[in-house]
Amino acid sequence: MTDVTAVPAERNKGTIFAGAVLVGALVAVLAGVYGRAHDPASETTIKLFFTTTLHFKSWATTAILLLVVMQLFGALWMYGKLPLGNAPDWVGPMHRFSGTLALVISLPVAYHCLWSLGFNPAPSSSRRLWHSLFGCVFYGAFVTKVLVVRSKRMPGWALPVVGGVLFTTLIALWLTSSLWFFRQFGIVV
Amino acid sequence: MLRKFVSGFEMAALIAVAVFIGMLFLNDPTAPPATPTAVVEAAGGIDGGALYGKSCAGCHGGDGSGGIGPRLAGKVVVKFPDPAAQIAVVADGRRGMPSFGTRLTAEEIAAVVEYTRTVLGS
Repeated sequence: MTDVTAVPAERNKGTIFAGAVLVGALVAVLAGVYGRAHDPASETTIKLFFTTTLHFKSWATTAILLLVVMQLFGALWMYGKLPLGNAPDWVGPMHRFSGTLALVISLPVAYHCLWSLGFNPAPSSSRRLWHSLFGCVFYGAFVTKVLVVRSKRMPGWALPVVGGVLFTTLIALWLTSSLWFFRQFGIVV
Repeated sequence: MLRKFVSGFEMAALIAVAVFIGMLFLNDPTAPPATPTAVVEAAGGIDGGALYGKSCAGCHGGDGSGGIGPRLAGKVVVKFPDPAAQIAVVADGRRGMPSFGTRLTAEEIAAVVEYTRTVLGS
C-alpha cells in the first residue's frame, strides 16, 4: 500500500531545501553587492607574523583548504563511506569544530577581500573576477550548508550536494588566490 | 566535554561573524593624504594623489605603508634619489610590479611619482 503522506512530505522537504538555497543565495548576493558598492579601502589589515596581509591570506586559505579536506573525510566516515568501520564518537564533534574553525579563519581573509579590495568585475583580470564570484558563492553555500545540517526536514541528497558545492568552491577559491600567489611570489611566509 | 567545547566554540564563532559584519560597515578607511595644491599645480593640474588611489594604493597601501608592494612612505626618496629612476620603474614595471607605461601618460606617471615623493615620501 502506498503511503499517501509520503509525496507531500517529500515536496515539503524540497520546498524547505529551496528556502535554504534562497537564503544562501541572498547572502552571496549581499556579499557581492557590498564588495561592489563599498569603496575599497586599499589598506593592509591583519598580517600576524607574515610578511604582508596577502601572505597571511594565502596561508590562511591553505589552512582552510586542509580543514575542509578534514571535513570531507569526517563526513565520509560518519556516513559509512570509508572502509574504516563505524565512526568513533569524537568524529562528529571534530567535524563541527574543524568546520567552525575554517569559518573563523576565513573571516579576516574575507574582511580584507571585501573591505580593502572589493568585488572585482574587471574583465581584464579574469582571475580576480572568478575569485570574487567564488568568494561570494562560498559564503552563500556555507550558510545553506549550516541550514541543511541543522534541519531534520531536508531531502537526503541535500547535504552531500551542498557540501560538494562548498568543497568545490573552496578549491576554486584556493586555486585563484593562494596558488596564484605562491606561483607569483614564491612559497614564503 | 568535547561536545560542550565545540558548542562554546560555535557560539564564539557566531560572535566573530557579528564583529566581522559590524567592522565591514563601521571601520572607516584611512583616506590617502590629499595632494597639496602646489603639487597639483606643479604637475600641470594632474592630481597625483587621485591617480595613486586608483592605480597604486591597492598594492602599496592608501597611506603608502605597503602591502603586496613595498612600503613607499618615508622610503621611496631614499631608494630612488633620482626621480627618473622611479619613473622608469613605474612606466616599465619590475618583478611583481606591473608596467603603467601604457595605462598612464608620461605626465600622469610623473604626477604620481611626485605625489609619492613629496606627500607619502615625507
